[in-house]
Amino acid sequence: MATSTTVSLPLPSSRRGLGWGDKVQRVLMRDRTLGYLFLFPALLVIVGLVAYPFASAIVMTFQAKTAGAPGRFIGLDNYRELLGSEQFLRTVFNTVVYTAVGVGVKFVLGLSMALVLNQERFCNNLFRSFLLIPWAIPTVMSALNWRWIFDDASGLINNILVRLSLIDETISWLSDPNLAMLSVIVVVVWQGTPFFTMSFLAGLQAIPKELYEAAEIDGASVLQQFTNITLPRLRPIFISAVMLSAILTSAGIQFVLVLTNGGPSDRTMIFPVLAYHLALGGAQRLGMGAAVSLVFFPILVVFIIFLTRRMLREKGGD
Amino acid sequence: MAMRMTAQRRVFQGLGNGALLLMFLWTAIPFYWMIATSLKHDKEIYGYEATLIPARPTLDNYATVFRETPYLLFLRNSLAVAAGSTFLSMVIAVLGAYAIARLSFPGRALLARGLVFTYLVPTSLLFIPMFAMMSVLRLTDSLHGLIIAYLGFDVPFCTWLLMGYFRSVPVELEEAARVDGCNRVSALVRIVLPMSLPALVVVTFFSFTHAWNEFLYAHVFTSTTSARTVTTGLVNFMSQDVFFWGPLMASTVMSALPPVLMFLVFQRWVVKGLTLGGVKG
Repeated sequence: MATSTTVSLPLPSSRRGLGWGDKVQRVLMRDRTLGYLFLFPALLVIVGLVAYPFASAIVMTFQAKTAGAPGRFIGLDNYRELLGSEQFLRTVFNTVVYTAVGVGVKFVLGLSMALVLNQERFCNNLFRSFLLIPWAIPTVMSALNWRWIFDDASGLINNILVRLSLIDETISWLSDPNLAMLSVIVVVVWQGTPFFTMSFLAGLQAIPKELYEAAEIDGASVLQQFTNITLPRLRPIFISAVMLSAILTSAGIQFVLVLTNGGPSDRTMIFPVLAYHLALGGAQRLGMGAAVSLVFFPILVVFIIFLTRRMLREKGGD
Repeated sequence: MAMRMTAQRRVFQGLGNGALLLMFLWTAIPFYWMIATSLKHDKEIYGYEATLIPARPTLDNYATVFRETPYLLFLRNSLAVAAGSTFLSMVIAVLGAYAIARLSFPGRALLARGLVFTYLVPTSLLFIPMFAMMSVLRLTDSLHGLIIAYLGFDVPFCTWLLMGYFRSVPVELEEAARVDGCNRVSALVRIVLPMSLPALVVVTFFSFTHAWNEFLYAHVFTSTTSARTVTTGLVNFMSQDVFFWGPLMASTVMSALPPVLMFLVFQRWVVKGLTLGGVKG
């Protein structure tokens, strides 16, 4: 739609009979109208699908509201109830552990893999492609697959452990209160490591070879080269990757939803899952659910603003 | 000295090979188990006769998926949603990115910032109000609703990615074309777009796989079979806590195949695009 209006601008005739200043102005004007026209659909998406829902989430947190029905204003009651509930406090704790351990392990494994794949080796490209596949398959599918791997009775892990006579009774990986969180994090790491590997590998390949050659002539050991050249050069990528991953890991709902649904007795309950249960489980308390997410937003927004700046800077230009 | 260096290198190369082998197994074994399970009879899946390697491989589970569940419908829905949201976000993003990269107007930098910011706001912060909104607009249980909802993620990301590529197309080429009588729109179509083909490939890949893989919105906005996609369809079909792992793994293999194949084909561009932006941490 926008395109057809702009095509029909009477370009040749407008050029005739105008002074220099007018012409410049004319071009500027066109840039401006065209700019807004072109950006209008994108703006509509941002406002309609992100800004408006976000604003209405804030309003909802002050309401007792169920789906379909209009909300009733109840002030800070939702927040008060949340902060007083043990379930919520446990959720905060779990979310921090889940995110910190998950991102930490992904980081270490991803960096190791990037270093290994950066070495020269026969068939390295083939390995790289293969190691990245967990990133490409749908997250729910990975989660389902792992739920089956962890299965109490016939899952792969118990199957092997029994075969090797390492255990007499099968282990309930996902329903044992002490193991559930660990098991879920294993899956998070499996799926999320490739992202770190990819980012770090790209960073490694951007480091000029001459730096290492010069260091070698100076007699620096491989370890020294790593700490003095590789690590400082990768630092910006470290920060971006960790922040992005922290946002997406903490807000990721699929693994917990499919693997444990927050159980056993809230041991794996993280904030998006709690929000989901409160808002869409039995009682449909949309306001409470929205409040759970909103409480976490201030932490996330720090990362988001930082990353926004960095992503715009990396793109060059402004 | 040189001797010590090569010795050191050899040690690290050896360590690297070992680590790579471990990582290969860690990545491969879950895939193996998924595929192996999908090829087994129930007898080999559960109980005392359970096997690690399918003794008598069979395609029965795949047949079951097609015979006893509306999997073809789920596939069709996923395809429709992915194609629809990819096409729309592509058009919207190309126009928006061009405006930000090439046209000067007040508020441009702010809009660019707003786009990136929106892309980083995770959907789990938005699904509750989105659900309320979709209910009011009667867009639940509909493929159109999903297509629209996915734009909220795809448009900001694609616009941001394209913005960078458009900036890297030399302005001079465009200016030359405009001297020859091209207007902005034909300069965009004839000069900028052909030169940004790699970026368009990446953007297509990301929007398509995002829509194909998306779970939360698809799960929350849909309550009947008619609008379910592959990510939510079978899970819901296998009722409460009773999982039929054979057919389920067969459907998992089939649902994972399209994005994996796309990834392998476009890998070179995708990795480059990902390291600039990054999704799915």
